[in-house]
Amino acid sequence: MNLDYKKSLAWLKENLFSSIPSSILTVVTIYFVLGFFRGLFGFAMASDKDWLSVLNNMQLYMVQAYPEEDFIRVWISVGLALVFAGMSIGLWKSTEESSLSDVFSKFLRVSLAFLFFTVVAPTFSSVTDNDGLIQTEESFPMDTRLQLLIPSAILVIVFFVLKNLNLNYKFNKSDLLCFYLAIPIVLLWIVKLPTIQLDSSNQRIIPDPLMPIADTTKIPWTIIFGLFLGFYFIGSRFKDSKNMKRTMSISWVLLPLFIFSWIFKKPEIDLPTILGQDIPIFIGIFLIGALTITFINNPVVEKYFSAYLGILIAITGISLFISIPILLKSALLLLVLFTIVIPAVSSSSKGKRNLIIVWGVSLFTLAVLIRGGSSDTQIIVQQQSIFGGFSLTWLLAIFGTYVSFPLGVLLALGRNSKLPIVRLVCTGIIELTRSVPYITWLFFASVTMAVFLPEGVNFELVVRVLMVTAFFSGAYFAENIRGGLQSIPKGQYEAADAIGMSPFQKTSLIVMPQALRAIIPTLVSSAITAFKDSSLVTIIGLIDFLTIGKVIIGTQSIPVNFVGHDRENLLFIAFFYWIFTFTLSRRSMKVEKRLGLGER
Amino acid sequence: MSIIKTNDVKKWFGDFQALKGISMEVQEGEVLVICGPSGSGKSTFIRCINRLEQHQEGEIIVDGIELTNDLKNIEAIRSEVGMVFQSFNLFPHLTVMQNITLAPIWVRKKSRSESEEKAMELLNRVGIPEQASKFPGQLSGGQQQRVAIARALAMEPKIMLFDEPTSALDPEMIKEVLDAMKELALSGMTMIVVTHEMGFAKEVADRVMLFDEGLMVEENTPTEFFDNPQNDRTKLFLSQIL
Repeated sequence: MNLDYKKSLAWLKENLFSSIPSSILTVVTIYFVLGFFRGLFGFAMASDKDWLSVLNNMQLYMVQAYPEEDFIRVWISVGLALVFAGMSIGLWKSTEESSLSDVFSKFLRVSLAFLFFTVVAPTFSSVTDNDGLIQTEESFPMDTRLQLLIPSAILVIVFFVLKNLNLNYKFNKSDLLCFYLAIPIVLLWIVKLPTIQLDSSNQRIIPDPLMPIADTTKIPWTIIFGLFLGFYFIGSRFKDSKNMKRTMSISWVLLPLFIFSWIFKKPEIDLPTILGQDIPIFIGIFLIGALTITFINNPVVEKYFSAYLGILIAITGISLFISIPILLKSALLLLVLFTIVIPAVSSSSKGKRNLIIVWGVSLFTLAVLIRGGSSDTQIIVQQQSIFGGFSLTWLLAIFGTYVSFPLGVLLALGRNSKLPIVRLVCTGIIELTRSVPYITWLFFASVTMAVFLPEGVNFELVVRVLMVTAFFSGAYFAENIRGGLQSIPKGQYEAADAIGMSPFQKTSLIVMPQALRAIIPTLVSSAITAFKDSSLVTIIGLIDFLTIGKVIIGTQSIPVNFVGHDRENLLFIAFFYWIFTFTLSRRSMKVEKRLGLGER
Repeated sequence: MSIIKTNDVKKWFGDFQALKGISMEVQEGEVLVICGPSGSGKSTFIRCINRLEQHQEGEIIVDGIELTNDLKNIEAIRSEVGMVFQSFNLFPHLTVMQNITLAPIWVRKKSRSESEEKAMELLNRVGIPEQASKFPGQLSGGQQQRVAIARALAMEPKIMLFDEPTSALDPEMIKEVLDAMKELALSGMTMIVVTHEMGFAKEVADRVMLFDEGLMVEENTPTEFFDNPQNDRTKLFLSQIL
């Protein structure tokens, strides 16, 4: 113990007080950091802040005006995502273990943060009174502070002792993660907070009575968490199955598409259209693809394959500009992509059978998603999109990344292409898109795009915004990826050439994986930018997460009276964004570490 | 019968003429060592044989197929000709096993299990079966170069090209790579080796060539080449290198 003490003293001296300037810097920095937290705590605790304006509006924040009778759809969406998460955590179950001491040190950190708060929080904070004058009032009296200080100090001591007992019970890290997730679920049932209640004459009861938090949502959350655990165990049973992992990865990609086109949207399904249009298109296109796969090695087919591909590309190109069902257009596009790939993959009969299955499944998935996505919704929200609040932010962030990332890859490859026309077009798209501000593109989507679309074609505003977002962030992704491509040494191309790989194989197996790995940090920062930039859509009248806090809640007057309480909401919004972006960047650091393995 | 035949091959990089007309033949099963000072065109020449560089005049016929711009021909020849590079050029994002099985699976369309079996056999042959699941970055230079040899052999090539395979290696690792190459030569593989390892040339080669300034200045059996050089340029080169 004595040695530890000396060691920490030595560390302090070496790192914080090594010279006079560094001591000054240390003291000044600590002063500013403490000042920041004092200000923050003082702001949060002042009596004129109504945090209920945040708590009470959670539903509005998340789904805005989504009708309550269809809330089950929202729960299914959230539930599916968590079930998938549980399954994945099980499938990719960590082999690492944490000891009980590590667990206690986590608890220690939380209680230290609490202790820090009780010590640092200021006793007085400034309050704006009814006349708009700023006054000082005691917001954190000494006896309240003591009431909190003593238990938190005790907690710190307890966890400190427990941590240093060096208890050597080991837990699997994934199991521990489930345990940590259980904590908020338990808290939902125990903790009570002031809640807005209205009396019989529709007036707010003051002071607000204590109620369990999330009274209406604790049961669904508990059910979802139960399912999460169940699928976690199922997943860990199959953790050695490569096929399950592959299926899971693909399902993750499809899940948001499925949620947004079917579950959340509640599409209006017209049976005759499905029977008379979708099914014939599906069967026809499927047969063309399947026949191509089956006879690819036939000498006659081989001879005319390039011509066939050329015709197919031409037909698909033309089909984009004539009015045929959107399913036919996208199925043709998929057929072209597949046909390009066919010669590159296995030609054994087993390989062919697998490829036909993959082709059928992807075409079917496409058909399902297109049918859901292009149908009208049955959910009626007055004069607005069914996406609002966090669901809109999430939609823009996910689709922005989903569509723009592959687009970025294609544009980057096109810009590096040897074919002059492809290079010119791709460079043109990238430069044009990047040289105009995002807000201008948003106005283009909301006002001018209709001029450029064929007559009779009309997209919802959200879809138009998604289209420009895809191109805008796609252009940035493309430039990042191009940077990654340039970092690949020439020797890698030569090695791939020397073992006889085709250009397609070279790009997809050798060049792209390395290029993407090299630019994970920039990709993540682009994704974070896209996530945050989604808040700009407020400018064209869409109501995203930020708009709800800044604009809508500030207008709620009777009976709750939240007028003028947008500062609390903005703080909450900042915190909320921070949680997501911080998690994303932490995850990406882990991925980077794992992928960096081979570079040592 | 000759498996490689070149006739008056010329190549320019801009204004600089790297190859000034090389005509030669390589018989099946022959081991040919090409040496020469740097900038003499020896690497450029063997890189022309599997079309990593494009020659501008003359003809190159490999295994009965003439090298032209036809992509099909190029891919066919590349899958018959294995190549080992000075800087290994292993794929850093794939394990040793994946590096070796990549081409058999994707180019030769073999099944994964068959390819992996074959890869283990090759790793045994070059003496590093225990490294199969590691990444290239975790291996020493000599081990990496042996993986590169195994990767080239996995395509079951008829010809192997070695472009200064030991130049980037520490001296104590050169031997392990040369041993693997000797073993390969003894098994009857047709090999063209660009190297400065004269010991290897003496011991293994059937013929030795000297390139200088884009021309082949001497061609002989190893004994004659080292003991009784004909050309003044060869004498100078040997006096500098030995």
